[in-house]
Amino acid sequence: MSNFSRTAQQWATFARSWFLIDAKMQPPGKIATMCSVRLQGKHKPIYHALSDCGDHVVVMNTRHIAFSGNKWEQKVYSSHTGYPGGFKQVTAAQLHLKDPKAIVKLAVYGMLPRNLLRPNMMQRLHLFAEDELPEDVLANLTEELPQPRDVPRTLSQYTQEERDAFPRLWTPPADYKMK
Amino acid sequence: MAARCVLRSIWTSFSEIRPVVNGSNFSYLTRACIPQLSFFGNTQCRGIRQVVEKQEGKTITIEGHTVDVPAAPEPPNPAAKCPIYRWNLQNKYNYTDVLLLSQFIRSDGGMLPKRITGLCPEEHRKVEICVKMAHRAGLLPDHKPKLPADHVPRRPKPQLNRYLTRWSIDSVKPIYRTGLKWCKRRMPVGDPVLKNNVRYGVKPLYLKH
Repeated sequence: MSNFSRTAQQWATFARSWFLIDAKMQPPGKIATMCSVRLQGKHKPIYHALSDCGDHVVVMNTRHIAFSGNKWEQKVYSSHTGYPGGFKQVTAAQLHLKDPKAIVKLAVYGMLPRNLLRPNMMQRLHLFAEDELPEDVLANLTEELPQPRDVPRTLSQYTQEERDAFPRLWTPPADYKMK
Repeated sequence: MAARCVLRSIWTSFSEIRPVVNGSNFSYLTRACIPQLSFFGNTQCRGIRQVVEKQEGKTITIEGHTVDVPAAPEPPNPAAKCPIYRWNLQNKYNYTDVLLLSQFIRSDGGMLPKRITGLCPEEHRKVEICVKMAHRAGLLPDHKPKLPADHVPRRPKPQLNRYLTRWSIDSVKPIYRTGLKWCKRRMPVGDPVLKNNVRYGVKPLYLKH
């Protein structure tokens, strides 16, 4: 134990790691839960609410998130400018076309605790609309988190062997004109 | 109905063409007469006819042969009439099973009639709903209605990824007033028809978010 330095252990414990999440075809709520846990540091055994031990989270492909149901049309984001008559309501599709990072950002912001650390934690969230990351962010990354949702394959992504191997469930009558 | 009879008569007359002369130079061309039975890939279940063109001097004889279909594997419950019940697939398919769903749709993406497929009404409705959700999720990209070649869309639609979409995209309206806490207007996700599906997990199924 003589060579063991507590300094190194301290640095390794409280160093901030950088996580990468690919949000392609992922629901923004599930992305936001993963982000908020890491931003608060709740995934660490040393977690305490007063020790600022959160990590950095990089979310890429926020332009390609997927909503379930009809939420692109039905979900409404409300804000108020502060002026009389300044109550704005936009649907998720309109907001996404205006700013492709806004939906993920608002989802994470709503999941963080409402305290004075929230702006600091939001500063450790790095959002990118596409999958191109700048060099300084790429140099920091330590781990990529798995995607929360399994993306289903489209029919054209199945190979011919897989299509042939799938059993034929029914056989059309011989005189049926298939369109 | 009349159109179908006409089609059938054309079909039978077409298949009864016999070669007039046994020509010396044959050019065998294998071609599918049916426009793209895409769901079985290359091994088409039926309807593949071999078109044989023979050229004898100035006479070209076109002949159609029915090609024998390779035998399919035996289903576990062959007595049932509905294909889903024949394969014991009740409540076991969802919108992601495009290999199954693509067997019940036409090349333009619509459902085949259930008097042809033999689906019972309940399963026909479930398959129809799954096909709709698969279309809206973009899982069947090649099964779309043919647009005319000079078609230009009036407004280019934004490409938004979605899944488990129950209602048509143009039919829903934004929920500006969600209502009070105990009687909120929720957003439907998925379809209650599929709520009896087999789920391997402990999480309950939320149809309204």
